[in-house]
Amino acid sequence: MLRPEGMRRLLIAVPKGEIDTVIRELYRHNIYHIEDFVPESESPDELSIGHPLPGASDAASALIKVRAIENACGIDPDSVEIKEKIPASKVRERIRTDLPAIQKEVEGLVATRSKLEAQKKEHEQRAKELEPFAALPLDLELYRGYIRFTVFTGHIRHDVAIDVPHEKYFSDRVDGNMIAVVVPNEHREEVERTLLDSGFQAIPVPEEAGAPADRLKSHIDEAREATTGIAGVNQRLAEIRDRHTDLLVACDELLTADVERAEAPLRFATTEETFITEGWVPEDRADGIRAALEKATNGRIYIGELAIDDDAKVPVEYENPSFASPTQVLMDIYARPRYSELDPTLMVAIVYPIFFGLILGDVGYGAILLALSFGLRKFLKGDEGRMLLSVLTYSSISSIIFGVLYSEFFGAALPWPALIFNRHLNIGGAAGGHPPQITELMILAIWIGILHITLGRILGMVNARKLHHGRHAAKAAIANAGWIGTMWGILIMIWSLYAIPLMPDLTGLPVVAMGFNVAAVVGAVLLVAGILGIAQENALELVEIPTIISHVLSYARLVAVGLSSVAIAMVVNFIAIGMLIQPQIEAITPLGVILIIFGVLVLFVGHALNTALGLLGGGLHSLRLHYVEFFTKFYKGGGKKYNPFGMKSKFTEE
Amino acid sequence: MADVVMTLEMVQASQLGMKAIGAGLAVGLTGIASGIAEMAIGSAAVGATAENRDVFGLVLLLTVIPETIVIFGLVVALLLLF
Repeated sequence: MLRPEGMRRLLIAVPKGEIDTVIRELYRHNIYHIEDFVPESESPDELSIGHPLPGASDAASALIKVRAIENACGIDPDSVEIKEKIPASKVRERIRTDLPAIQKEVEGLVATRSKLEAQKKEHEQRAKELEPFAALPLDLELYRGYIRFTVFTGHIRHDVAIDVPHEKYFSDRVDGNMIAVVVPNEHREEVERTLLDSGFQAIPVPEEAGAPADRLKSHIDEAREATTGIAGVNQRLAEIRDRHTDLLVACDELLTADVERAEAPLRFATTEETFITEGWVPEDRADGIRAALEKATNGRIYIGELAIDDDAKVPVEYENPSFASPTQVLMDIYARPRYSELDPTLMVAIVYPIFFGLILGDVGYGAILLALSFGLRKFLKGDEGRMLLSVLTYSSISSIIFGVLYSEFFGAALPWPALIFNRHLNIGGAAGGHPPQITELMILAIWIGILHITLGRILGMVNARKLHHGRHAAKAAIANAGWIGTMWGILIMIWSLYAIPLMPDLTGLPVVAMGFNVAAVVGAVLLVAGILGIAQENALELVEIPTIISHVLSYARLVAVGLSSVAIAMVVNFIAIGMLIQPQIEAITPLGVILIIFGVLVLFVGHALNTALGLLGGGLHSLRLHYVEFFTKFYKGGGKKYNPFGMKSKFTEE
Repeated sequence: MADVVMTLEMVQASQLGMKAIGAGLAVGLTGIASGIAEMAIGSAAVGATAENRDVFGLVLLLTVIPETIVIFGLVVALLLLF
């Protein structure tokens, strides 16, 4: 909690004879993050990269074949439902017996399909060329083979009159019209000019014989036949998919594991007799894997522990309570925390849904989003998608809770008055009772901003001690305290000059000098001390002081975005119900029924649009308040992802 | 020229109208400003996403950063109206 999981850095050295056992054991435990070995020089007496285990290339080529079959059948292992785990020995057996037959069949089918596709394309092309000629009553062989005559065939804008001896056929039944003209060779040029004047575009005569209409029909038939053939092949591929998906994904998984294991030595350092590897394991499981490795190799292994010198090199794995772990996806979008810094996931997990609810506090929209977050689970299979949906679930529950407090249901009021602040605007004269408490809401948002940013700065002080050492740590911590002092100094000075609702009123305190009272002086002292605190670390930071105001005011979006969503909902309700449906229901006429249907349509489309806007507004703005206003105060990020060597087997078992 | 006589109601009504115009200008002009600011970021973001799908989350965020401008406009408008 609030810290990434502790890691220990191990150095493992094994004789070459034990390498297979060690890799197998490490892979099975799936907790060892390998630090890839990078050779420093090419000289032969230095350590060098290991060679893959025997069998690596066989496994790799088998894997490529399996992936090709999966590709042809359209199988995506990530989205396959797990039915039962097949024992690895059985999978290996079937890789030998069944897989070659499946591969042959699939390869044959794919080859047939591409041949049929080529044929189909060819026939379609031919048919397209023949189409204009089918409009003229001439056989194709009549267009060629003349010595003393020239034949013009092509598209033309309109029929033309030709004033030399000729034979002409014209048809406007095809796109762009079709003309065929036969003239003696000596009149060729002038006829060509006449034709070109009317926008003549020559098209070549297809190299075929017979009536164009018949040929056209036969090409179309053949193209259709090829299409049926392709559909048949696809059908058979689908059958193979239905029959063999389980086997194929199991083969894929097993072979991927084989390849990863066989290629692991490429990430190790070797001497003549030994392999050496460096890596990371979680603190609480380090002893377990040490014991397991020693047992598997009968003690023919050296495992040492190295000190952690650079925190940027440590792989980072989150350690959060289960309700907060989906929020890790929001952290990863920004940056994973560094190993030694605070992990704010827990805070984001709590505050993000609250912000979302404050913005989109509406029972109706919350319920729709809740249903959506459960409904989409069927379609989103990946881990990240699932995590995002969990965040959405929490957010929409918070939205429903705030909807009850605000008394809002699709923009309309629930049967009770708003329990906290009233957001019902006066649209269409519908809202009675209390006017909306906009100012109070704004000040509430500003308070949230002040507290959130103060929290961020306090975390900054904690982080400064973790990320820096010695004097720099103290300086950075004081600078963060300086930022807090500056902000609160400004606040206290404002309070001493103006009375603001929901904030302390300090205007009544005794005046000290020049019309300024005690609070103003205290505020000024805090402000100056704060500025000095910031400047002692880096004077250039002082240009950032205006961001104190802009960042705090930025929290006003919690109210502003929410109110705009309320306004849209109320306007939709007013147009649909108040203007279209209600007046018609009082006296129903045929036209009125149409208007009522239209009104219902407006209601649905409007609220669907507003749900999307609310999701986008509530989600993105809450996220942005965290990333831009909160994280910039303390968070560095840039940790490496913890990626243990091994896999969670889904389809096979050892 | 006849003297223009304004009753109290007329003055109040015109003040209300001025407030509404002010609120409209506050939202409209800041909206345009946000649009201009987001234009360049958005197009760069689409380009970056086309190169590398992983940056989608980050660039989506960068794109909404100028939204603050219009939020301030909205805040001012709301304060004017209520």
